[in-house]
Amino acid sequence: MNGMTLYLFQLVLVTTAVTLLLRAFPFIAFGRGNRPPELIRYIGEVVSPAAIAMLVVYCYWAYFKARPFSAAYGWNLPEIAAGVLVIALHLWKRNALLSIIAGVILYMFLVQKVFP
Amino acid sequence: MFTRRVLKSAWLSSLPVLMGYLTMGFAAGVLFAGRIEAPAVSFWAFLTSATSISGALQFLMSGWAQQRTPLLDVALLTFCLNLRYAMYGFSLLERFKGIPWWQKFYLIWTLTDETYALEVENRTPAGESSIAYCLAVAAFDHLYWVIGVTAGALFGSGVRFDNRGIDFAMTALFLVILTDQCREKRNRIPAFTGLGATVVCGLFFSLENVLIPSMVLMLILLLLLRGKLAKKETEA
Repeated sequence: MNGMTLYLFQLVLVTTAVTLLLRAFPFIAFGRGNRPPELIRYIGEVVSPAAIAMLVVYCYWAYFKARPFSAAYGWNLPEIAAGVLVIALHLWKRNALLSIIAGVILYMFLVQKVFP
Repeated sequence: MFTRRVLKSAWLSSLPVLMGYLTMGFAAGVLFAGRIEAPAVSFWAFLTSATSISGALQFLMSGWAQQRTPLLDVALLTFCLNLRYAMYGFSLLERFKGIPWWQKFYLIWTLTDETYALEVENRTPAGESSIAYCLAVAAFDHLYWVIGVTAGALFGSGVRFDNRGIDFAMTALFLVILTDQCREKRNRIPAFTGLGATVVCGLFFSLENVLIPSMVLMLILLLLLRGKLAKKETEA
């Protein structure tokens, strides 16, 4: 078994175990019909938007690092324009698939054809 | 239990998910095959998608494997990203009570955002078993996701095409989820907290190490804001 195969195997185990335990949490902890404590419900409510916002910052930071602000990378215009398109289209049409596909097509076009 | 009527109804309900999972799965699969240099990469795409069944996670996994991210970081990130799943089961506790353990296990294992939404909507035809309906919806969605990811990986590793920029699918997915969440007023302060915590931690940590401290800071801030935000929630 080479290193990558071993890592992928461990990755499958870790991601599956954590995700499965989270999904099973209410059934394990409150199977007898108890209501969850207020604190758990609060964390469950607020952590999702916070984590997604964190990942948006992380994604953009990764782009700005891999493609530093310069003429060669179109002054990061592809990332910003595609992001604005995704948000605007989604606010307007509320169709997740449409927003994502449009954003990806614009981004691929910009990085491949306009600022190669 | 699995009558024609119940299967047909479940299949019709799952059609919107078919479109979404095949497309997003395909993009995630292409990215997976493009980033990971391993023998039988499509097999790994199949295995990762069939076992964790989680959209955003599938995109993140290709980056983790490429960088060999430490497994503790993987576990913590998976935890924060998928913590919302831990809340879904509460509305299904009653319905899943007393069913055979393997049915319960499968329904819990396959509880994605979309499957959860369909199960809560529950369009079981009158006189049919709602468990059969849920199992069928879960199995259809599971199948769509695995086919999407595996097909994407096969395509990505077999066909040579210029896939530069397809990684934006992950960013776009997060932007779409965030936009949806921020339509609801009560999610705006938590979202801003996550954003702020990450930017602040970005001043002190490198890109590779920023997520864990950001999550810790984010959780501390959210706990401090609890009095204020919990109150808003009851008002809303």
